Amino acid sequence: MLQARFVPVAIDQACQRRQQDAEGEFYRKIAGQGPRNNFQSTTQGLYVATAGGRLLLFNNNRDPAKVQRLLKETLARFEEDTAANSRAIAIKRGKVDARYNVTPPAGGLVVRVRAKILGGYEPTTDRWQAVFQNALSRDNLWISAAEHQALLRGVVASSLQQRIARFHLVDNTRGEPPMWKAKEIRELKMKIEGHRILGQATLRTASGDRSYQADLFGVIEKKAGRIVRLDMVARGEFQGEGPYTRNAPKGKFPLAISFSLADGKEAADRIPPQGSRGWLPGYLR
Amino acid sequence: MKQRERGCCIFGGALAIFMLVSPWLSAAELKEADFLVLHSQLQPPRNEPWRTIPWKITLIDAQRIAIEEKKPIFIWAMDGHPLGCT
Repeated sequence: MLQARFVPVAIDQACQRRQQDAEGEFYRKIAGQGPRNNFQSTTQGLYVATAGGRLLLFNNNRDPAKVQRLLKETLARFEEDTAANSRAIAIKRGKVDARYNVTPPAGGLVVRVRAKILGGYEPTTDRWQAVFQNALSRDNLWISAAEHQALLRGVVASSLQQRIARFHLVDNTRGEPPMWKAKEIRELKMKIEGHRILGQATLRTASGDRSYQADLFGVIEKKAGRIVRLDMVARGEFQGEGPYTRNAPKGKFPLAISFSLADGKEAADRIPPQGSRGWLPGYLR
Repeated sequence: MKQRERGCCIFGGALAIFMLVSPWLSAAELKEADFLVLHSQLQPPRNEPWRTIPWKITLIDAQRIAIEEKKPIFIWAMDGHPLGCT
């Protein structure tokens, strides 16, 4: 139904509800008609709207059968009002809010990052808990042109090491994770030997309530002046959770994180890194 | 220095150097097999239905297509990107 009867769009509403441009204005026009219309806090949910911006449905239910029924009912209402639906005019993009319209660095690389908890959860019969326990998360790592050139020379630049550690050695399998502060990097070393990437990382908060100690191993290949393969895994013991990643396993648990060069074929390849939201220069420095 | 002492010195030096670098060599030898298995395990299944949905990532693009195709817009709005980390 989503493929054939709707135009589906996926957004991080933390951006759109703040954006000061045509994109943000259109989103707030739609969301403002729903129950979550205070843009100082989350507007998370499922929305159906006409191209003219009239809200037809808001729902935040995760039951697939209920959502499917609601979508069918909404389609019926949409198709009753074809005259109104045909009056919409395409919105011009105009000047965009630079904080939330970012692209990967020219000459750099985009790397898919996926995390998974390998064990430690208590067994559950709750289907929703099981979803979180088996989740494979997804983020993107952006590598600058200078760091790309360093990789070609066989060096993992310090800035890249820091970015990997602070923004991507995280447990984001249950929600938005807390990132690491620079001073929470206790040990970090990565190097390239031949075609192998080797590394070790220890991250820990001052209180010790959250930590990750991991080994890194990967393979890197270059061709015609470009990195054509960058596959790497971090594996180690994680401890702790964040405000939006509650219900982590108790104590220390095995967390693995994979890195793979993106080929641009997935829609998610175009998503900016979570750690760059509203702050790309800080993420890339 | 007598030949046996020189030989012992050379052997001892080589052993010392080996012990200094061996953590890295050990990490490489221990990790490569794990890396190959883990990396393949940490890839999403290819046949998940939601991956076949042609998601747009901007409302402006979705609105233009909705006009062209006379369809309503379905917005999946989350904290964090739905196609990303959460």
